[in-house]
Amino acid sequence: MLARIVAEAPEFFSYYNVVFLLEAMLATFALSAIGCVFGFAAGFFLAVSRRTTSHFLLPLRTLTAAFIEMFRRIPFLVTLMMVFFVFQGLGLDISMFSVALISVCLIATAFIAEIIRAGLESVHRTQWDTAAAMNMSLIQTLRYVIMPQAWKIILPPVFSFFILFIKDTALASQIGVVELTYAGKVLNNKGFSAALVFGAILILYFIISYPLARFGARLEQKLAAARNS
Amino acid sequence: MSYTLQFGQVTGYLPYLAGGAWISLQIAFLAFCGGMVIGLFGAMAKTFGNRPLNRVVSGYVTFFMNTPQLVQIYFIYFALPDAGILLTSYEAVLIGMTLNAGAYLTEIQRAGFESVHRNEMEAAETLGMSLMQRVRYVVLPHIARVLFPPLSNQYILMTLGTSMAAIFGVEELTGRAFNVNAETFRSIEVFSLTAGLYIIVTLIATLILGLFGRYMFRAKMRLY
Repeated sequence: MLARIVAEAPEFFSYYNVVFLLEAMLATFALSAIGCVFGFAAGFFLAVSRRTTSHFLLPLRTLTAAFIEMFRRIPFLVTLMMVFFVFQGLGLDISMFSVALISVCLIATAFIAEIIRAGLESVHRTQWDTAAAMNMSLIQTLRYVIMPQAWKIILPPVFSFFILFIKDTALASQIGVVELTYAGKVLNNKGFSAALVFGAILILYFIISYPLARFGARLEQKLAAARNS
Repeated sequence: MSYTLQFGQVTGYLPYLAGGAWISLQIAFLAFCGGMVIGLFGAMAKTFGNRPLNRVVSGYVTFFMNTPQLVQIYFIYFALPDAGILLTSYEAVLIGMTLNAGAYLTEIQRAGFESVHRNEMEAAETLGMSLMQRVRYVVLPHIARVLFPPLSNQYILMTLGTSMAAIFGVEELTGRAFNVNAETFRSIEVFSLTAGLYIIVTLIATLILGLFGRYMFRAKMRLY
């Protein structure tokens, strides 16, 4: 196994393969980064909509709760296949990357909405009541009372979800999105030994994920310190 | 732009798919149990172990937490035969999931171990308890209540994670959905039915774990 890796290594790390792998790395990163930014915006909207009290908005609250519960309980692979076949059934011709991006956005929205909901609930009830007594609207309450306190609690888990998601996007290789895992499959099919190719892919994932994980841990420590002081 | 949903063709496969869901739960359960054993010893090594042991366990946890489970299983399934280790797809998936779960569960349980107060450990040491006795009689009863919610959450996530076994040809829920899809070509119907089954299975699992946690450990848990 080792002898074969050493023998193939010079050929494996040729210019074109390296560029191919770097582009694939970028796609992996972009997929989860775009998904999480979108998921944060949409998830925030969903989490806030669950806190509305108007009778007219009851259907919205129900739908939001159903959406969140649903997509947190469907595996990523199945969501991917559903989105893929729905677009095929509708006859729309969109790229595989867009299909993966849409499924990533759906799942990230559901998970981040739940994180933000927990963050909003972490602010004590009396603060919500006080803001209501001062005749603040929902937007004003969030802007001036809740978010200044809640963002410290929301940010660390959202960031660790983002890191978790970088690894989950590996499943997008199954519908043919050219990201890191797919690049590994292509190179393996070209005849390089699986140990070399998948070992390299594992290390590349580690290179993306590890610095972010360290940064996330530091962020968490800093925010925890800021909260307690 | 028109697509007519026809569930009639796939509802006959419902028992077949439900059998797949049972296999999914089995894989998740086996991997979780294996992961718990690794996690318990990992957490013990990280808390009480000496420096080299600590390094080794930290390296294992960091590596497995920062690489995707899918590629780990790819490596086990496709690369280990080079070294003369031939595994069936079921074994490869199970080993990959167990090792991956072991890393996450080590981290969860280590947090629990650290929450036990120093004084209690010292008191147990003074009573002449061995390491295993201390873990068994002092640490575990303490942390069971705190750790039950995150552990059951991890179990639900692992149940969803078993869907990647389908990629290696294991016939669990998603794998069987691929089979039905290939036979009937009613893709949207098949996969929405599969998604529904996953939702039902995880809802039932959450309910059972929640009730168990509430009555056994008095843990604060949501039931839905």
